[in-house]
Amino acid sequence: MQGEQITQEDRFWLLVSLKLAGEATPEELAELETFLQQRPEMGLRMEMLNGFWLGEPEDQGRRNDALNRHLQRLSNHLSTPTLNYEAAMATEEAPAPLPVETHTRGIYRLLWPIVGIAAAIALIFFISHRPESIKNERVEQVAENTISTKPGSKSKIQLPDGSQVWLNADSRITYNETFRGPFREVQITGEAYFDIAKDKDHPFIIHANSIDVRVLGTSLNIRSYANEKNTEAVLIRGSIEVTLRSSPDKKIILQPNEKLVVQNGKAVVVKGMPSVQKYEDAPVMTLGKAHIQPKDTIAMDILWVKNKLAFDHETLEEVARKIERWYAVKVNIPDERLKHVEYSGVFEDESLRQVMEALRWTGNFRYSINKREVTITP
Amino acid sequence: MQERIAFYEDMKAYNQLFLLLSGGIFRFTYSLVKSNEVAEEIVSDVFIKLWQIKDRLPEIENLKVYLYTIAKNFSLNYINKHYKNTVVSLDGLDVETIDLNSPAEMCVSADLVQQIRKVIRQLPPQCRLIFQMVKEDGLRYKEVAAILDISPLTVRNQLAIAIKKIGESLPVYLQSGFTMVSRFSHS
Repeated sequence: MQGEQITQEDRFWLLVSLKLAGEATPEELAELETFLQQRPEMGLRMEMLNGFWLGEPEDQGRRNDALNRHLQRLSNHLSTPTLNYEAAMATEEAPAPLPVETHTRGIYRLLWPIVGIAAAIALIFFISHRPESIKNERVEQVAENTISTKPGSKSKIQLPDGSQVWLNADSRITYNETFRGPFREVQITGEAYFDIAKDKDHPFIIHANSIDVRVLGTSLNIRSYANEKNTEAVLIRGSIEVTLRSSPDKKIILQPNEKLVVQNGKAVVVKGMPSVQKYEDAPVMTLGKAHIQPKDTIAMDILWVKNKLAFDHETLEEVARKIERWYAVKVNIPDERLKHVEYSGVFEDESLRQVMEALRWTGNFRYSINKREVTITP
Repeated sequence: MQERIAFYEDMKAYNQLFLLLSGGIFRFTYSLVKSNEVAEEIVSDVFIKLWQIKDRLPEIENLKVYLYTIAKNFSLNYINKHYKNTVVSLDGLDVETIDLNSPAEMCVSADLVQQIRKVIRQLPPQCRLIFQMVKEDGLRYKEVAAILDISPLTVRNQLAIAIKKIGESLPVYLQSGFTMVSRFSHS
C-alpha cells in the first residue's frame, strides 16, 4: 500500500510541475483538481509553490543597463577582429548553420612564416561621437549631426531613416539632424559603406569630395579621403547615379560591381568623353569592374567592412596611407622608387608588425617601427 | 516566433529582443561560467552574433533555442579555454544557479523563500538548471531539451523531481496523521 501511495504523490508533484510549467493538458489539470479535492491539505503547499513560482518580474532597469552596455560593444564590434569564441565555435554543434568566417589567406599570409599565430590587432577604438541611433534621447537641438572616426577605428551607425553606414578609419559623415525634406542628404569625407533603406519618395544623396551620388535603395562604398588623389564609388547592389560636381549636367549610371574612380580637384569631364572610356595617362575618370574576391565573393573594396585590410594592386604609397589609417600610425617612405611598387593581399587579425613583415618578404625592402612611426627604406 | 517579426535591419526589434531574452540567457550562462562579468560578455557576444547573422534569421526555426545554444557553446568554449579539463557536454559540469527572484505573493514568507532556495541549491546540477530554465526563463520543455540536448521526457521528469523536493519541504498546516505518515515513509 505504501509504495502505491508514494507513486500517487509522485504523480501529484508531476501534475503540479506540469501546471506550473504551463505544459499540462486539460486532462492532467482535471486530474490535479480531483486529487486536490481528495487531499485538500496539499492545496496549501501547491499555493505556496505557485506564489514562489511566479516571483517578481525582472528588474527592467538592470536589463536596460545591460542593453546599453551591449549596444556600446555592438557599435564597436567592427573594430574587434573576431569574436573570442568564434574560432572554437565551428566545432560545436548548433541547431542551424552557424556563420563561420572563411579565413582569407592572401598571398602574404602564405609567405608569413609563422602562420597560425592568432595575434589580435590592438586597435584603440574611439568614436568621438556616439551614434545618434543608440542614444534615443536627444538633448540639444543642433542642425547637423557629425559622426567621425579616428585613425585606427571604425564605426557602424544607423541613420534616422534606417540606413546603415559603416565608417572606416579617419572618416566623417555629416547629416541634417531631422533627416527630413525631399532628399536624404549626407556629406562624407573618408570611406564609408552604405546600405541604404528603400524610400522612393526621398532619394538619398551622398556628397563626396568631387562627386554627388544619388540613390534610391542600394548598397555602395564611397572612398573620398582628402589626402588621396581619387574619389571612388563602388556599387554593390541596386543602381546609382553619379554626378561630377564640376559638370552637373553629366550623369553616370553605375551597375552592380562597377567602380567609378574620379580624380579629385580637376574632375572635369572631357567633352564627348564616353563615361566608360579609359584614358591612357592621368584619367580624369574611369569606370570599371570592381575586383571580386573569389573566396568571399565580395568586392575587394568593401572587405574593410568585414574587418579585413585589403590591398588590390595598390602602390606602396597607397598601401602606406591605408596602414596609417588602419593602425593609427605614420608611415614614411623616403625613397621615391619604392612608392610605386604594387601590392595585393588581404589581412585579417594581423598586427602592424605582421603586415609589415609580410610586405617586406615580397617587397624586398626594410622597415623600422619606432613607436607610432614606420619607416620603409630600400 | 513573434520576436522575429520585422527583425530585418530593425534596431528597435533587436533591442526589444535583447530586453526579452538577455536576462534568461544571462542566468543560463552564469550557471555555467559562474562569473557575472564573463556571463555578461558572452550574452553580448551572443547578441552580436545575432546581429551579424540577421539576414539568415528566417531560416532559424526557434530563435530562443538558437540563442541559448550559442550561449551554451560560447560558455563551454570559455570553460575549455580557462580550465584545463575539457568539457564537451553539460554532463558532469557543475552548475550554479542564481538566487531566484523574491516572490511577490505574501503567502510565501521570507523564511520560506530561504528554505526553498536551500532546497534548490541541494538539487542535482542538471535538475537545478532545468528548474531555472523553465521557471525563470519560461522555456518550454521541448526548448530546454533542444538546448541541453536531452529528451523532453527527461526535462519533464527532472522538473517533477525539483517540484517534489521543494513541495515536500513546505509546511503543511493542516497536519493530519495521514500526511505525517506519508512524510515519514520517505525517510
